[in-house]
Amino acid sequence: MQNFGSNNDLDEKGHVMTDQPKIKVKFEPKPKPSTCPICTVEYYQQFFDIEQRDVYMRIRCSLLSWKPEFYQCVGKNPDLWGPLWISTTIIFILFAGGNLSRFLLEEDKRHFKYEYNYMYVAVLIVYAMAFIIPIILGVIMKYILKSELGVFEIVCMYGYSLSVYMFVLVLCIIPYNEAQWFFLMCGLANSTIFLLVNLWDFMKKNKQTTLIAVPIISFNLALILCFKFYFFRLIYAVDD
Amino acid sequence: MDYTNQKHPQNYSQMEDLKTLDLEESVSETIMRDLRMIAYKLKYVLIPKEQEDNGKELRNWDLWGPLIFCLTLAMTLSFKADSTTSSSKSDVFAIIFVLIWVGAFVVTLNAQLLGGKVSFFQSVCLLGYCVFPINIEAIIIAFVGSYLPFVVKLIPVIICFAWSAYSSVGFMASLVPPHKKKLAVYPVFLFYLFLSWFSLIV
Repeated sequence: MQNFGSNNDLDEKGHVMTDQPKIKVKFEPKPKPSTCPICTVEYYQQFFDIEQRDVYMRIRCSLLSWKPEFYQCVGKNPDLWGPLWISTTIIFILFAGGNLSRFLLEEDKRHFKYEYNYMYVAVLIVYAMAFIIPIILGVIMKYILKSELGVFEIVCMYGYSLSVYMFVLVLCIIPYNEAQWFFLMCGLANSTIFLLVNLWDFMKKNKQTTLIAVPIISFNLALILCFKFYFFRLIYAVDD
Repeated sequence: MDYTNQKHPQNYSQMEDLKTLDLEESVSETIMRDLRMIAYKLKYVLIPKEQEDNGKELRNWDLWGPLIFCLTLAMTLSFKADSTTSSSKSDVFAIIFVLIWVGAFVVTLNAQLLGGKVSFFQSVCLLGYCVFPINIEAIIIAFVGSYLPFVVKLIPVIICFAWSAYSSVGFMASLVPPHKKKLAVYPVFLFYLFLSWFSLIV
């Protein structure tokens, strides 16, 4: 048996005890009080405290938009995972699907020109709709209209309201005008009803129905018009 | 070929010793050593049975490998891009470059926000190395793509996308608690889908 130290006593497990006791050094850096708490990563961790099952339930809530169940789904736990990745998925579908839809309609498939501008425009429109508009609306509602809903709850709601477009835009790849309009109208209805139904209580309590409903409806309408007239425009070859 | 017998550092202390030799060796030796390290890491990341220690080798992260693969992919795709519109080539290069770095950054940030305890650069390093299969399929399609029908082109794209995704998913999923695995893995899947889609359509 090796001689680790002058002390040959055995401890309770039968190992030879060494002279020096094992010193556990616990190094915990003290959290520095930040001048800008909203700028740190730790602040946003509270919005990612969800499980995959929660995300599935919230998307399901948003697809069944006529039931005002979103607050029961979310509880006190609004998340930012949903808005972020739903909007990123929509950007991909717009970029890939928009070009694919034009490709299917193109007669001269060998000389098809891919439009890379779709990427820039998609990023701009979708992230504006998913983040900038709900932040502005949330700030107005919380600080001017004194609602109990926080800004991040509104952002979460807007993000999940876009989830129907993931399915609608895939269907819009079908290069028929009437089909595309039909699907986009379904998406518009679903998304707008979801937002209005869940904000209904607040609107009725504060009697501010028009002030909130009108921007919601108009921004959603503007969104699908962008989708139709930029990404999924059908330019038919004109015979001379 | 086993690179571990050569001057490959097994741990940080060996790397420190080697740093003192850097100034004395020739440029070609330095470059070859870096290339051997990149090749070793590539083999480690992409061939799953090499990983017996659950990704500990990735602690020696480097960004040279990701940079080389990112530039190769961006240049291959922009070379192949439609040259009739003057801005197409630069558009493609810019999109791919930004997509890879911002994408890796956002995917890693997502894993950290979900509670994953990982060094930021380790994860970016892994995601960058896993872009290599997409590089291969972009080169294949760049050379022989115009002679093949679309369906045949789809086969290497799907295989390489699956290979990239599978290599990185294991690592990413191990970072977060079990009930959040899909939330950490889905962005990785979306990231490689974006890149594979680009290599298919350009």
